Amino acid sequence: MLSVENLSFRYRRRGPMVLDGIDLELNGGEIGILLGRNGSGKTTLFRNILGICTPSGGAIRFGGEDFIRLPRREKARRVAYVPQDIRFGALSVYDSVLLGRVAYFGYRASRADHAVVERILAEMRLEACARRNVEELSGGERQKVAIARAMAQEPRLMIFDEPTGNLDIANEQQVLEEARKLARSKGIAILSALHDLNQAMAFGDRFFFIKAGKIRYAGGRDCFTPEVIKDIFDADIKIVEIGNQSIILGGISQ
Amino acid sequence: MDGYARKNLRRKRAVMLSLGLLTALLCVASLFIGSSHMSVADGVAALLKRSTAANNRIIWNIRVPRILAAMIAGAGLSVSGLIMQTVMNNAMASPSTLGVSNAAVFGANVSIIAFAGGFLSTGNNLKNYAVGANPYATGVMAFAFSMLSILLILGLCRVRAFSPNVVVLAGIAVGAVWTAATTLLQFYATDVGISAAVIWNFGDLGRATYRTDWIMLAVVTFGIAVFSLLAWRYNALLSGEAAAAAMGVNVELLRFVSLLLASMITAVCVSFLGVIGFVGIICPHVTKRLLGQDHRVALPVSALCGSLLLLAADDLSRSLGNGSALPVGAITSLLGAPFFVAVIFSGRENRPC
Repeated sequence: MLSVENLSFRYRRRGPMVLDGIDLELNGGEIGILLGRNGSGKTTLFRNILGICTPSGGAIRFGGEDFIRLPRREKARRVAYVPQDIRFGALSVYDSVLLGRVAYFGYRASRADHAVVERILAEMRLEACARRNVEELSGGERQKVAIARAMAQEPRLMIFDEPTGNLDIANEQQVLEEARKLARSKGIAILSALHDLNQAMAFGDRFFFIKAGKIRYAGGRDCFTPEVIKDIFDADIKIVEIGNQSIILGGISQ
Repeated sequence: MDGYARKNLRRKRAVMLSLGLLTALLCVASLFIGSSHMSVADGVAALLKRSTAANNRIIWNIRVPRILAAMIAGAGLSVSGLIMQTVMNNAMASPSTLGVSNAAVFGANVSIIAFAGGFLSTGNNLKNYAVGANPYATGVMAFAFSMLSILLILGLCRVRAFSPNVVVLAGIAVGAVWTAATTLLQFYATDVGISAAVIWNFGDLGRATYRTDWIMLAVVTFGIAVFSLLAWRYNALLSGEAAAAAMGVNVELLRFVSLLLASMITAVCVSFLGVIGFVGIICPHVTKRLLGQDHRVALPVSALCGSLLLLAADDLSRSLGNGSALPVGAITSLLGAPFFVAVIFSGRENRPC
């Protein structure tokens, strides 16, 4: 469904390439994980796919449709964003989710927009706190509201930038489970950055390892080898099998 | 309309209603406050044009246009401040962030010092400064220079990205140029010129006439109407620039239109009335504390807050002045500065957690 072809991006003409020939494919319902060090181009790639930055070359397609040329509001109806630092001003949960409908209504929410918001609040079990101010909620709940807002855009792709960066273990699990359920049940593709390699392995279907603006490795769980991790992160790891689960141990000196 | 939103809206309506009532009450009361010691009975008679000619004139030619000016300019400055703070993502942004006021002061100073208040008059007597050959010359010059300043800064920012920091810094730089130019101008001015120029700098609602009121009303109404249409986009912007863009908001265009309109509102008010400080900072902050930042509510509420504050400050200035009205700009700033300090030190956003 999403296909990124030979995408390149630089901030200034003749400036250095920040993204260099990125190829990436993702189907509906699939969870893609982008892995790479800070500054490797993850966020820039996200900004390009979101339509915030305009690529310098290459193509982004949704089911064959040229995404780059779409008007901004049309883009927002296809791709939604769950940022790492979640701010809502001082809006209520209900209004925050309604924000996701701005790409549809523009000036004034219609009955249909309210209906979508109520459905999503019900689906995500957020009705109880619908009137509460988002600022009063815990980190995990806030993340859930951010996902609900993204859902209100009725997107085909959701982009998560480090969704668990500010969460404790319990909330981490909950948020990732929620996201996976949505992907599977609605056929929404998810592209996410995650720092924790074990979490990434458990959560993702496809993995893209990015280094210096290039995708170096792409594929399934078998991509996680000590050699790949050494190349991408310059870190030594060991993979141990416990039952049928592989667990990555970091900080191993050899 | 759904159940959740309805309950929430009820409280907001209550606040809006009470602010509206308060403004209306103060507006009526202001009719009977002034330096002429007119009794309330005389005032009511004059409102019906049944009192003495002098009283009729005081009510209809002095107090009514003044009250209208306070309400219109108060609302305009306050809403401009709110929008500036939102689009710059900066609690300290104000209607004059683009150097509008400094430019207006320079324009007015040129008109007063170089042209003695009007283009035809060259005399050095105070009467010329007060009246001028053309009563609009000073206002027009102030407006022309503030527009020039706005366009200069917006043009500068168009070259680089429209990031809030660039805009704020450009505003500071250009504002400093106008202030320096004003200083130079005043250095070469005569004593009378300087005093006339300084008096212009004090905001004074007494300069308002029906004609200036209508012009201000047109600009402020237009601005508030556009801002209200864009309320959801401002709400989206509260989640951050990238998030807003991902929600389909054209952030750069929104910022450009908002800065232009907010600065124009400010330019018109300042040009006709002189510099009225801090309304554009106090009122948006009070509004946000009262009802949060949802722009569907914050826009009308901050407009009402602005009207209320400027009306109250003007009433204060007229009753404390002992015969003549104190400059209202000084009163709003006197109220504003301590409040500003309080905001800085109580802000939740300044604590590390």
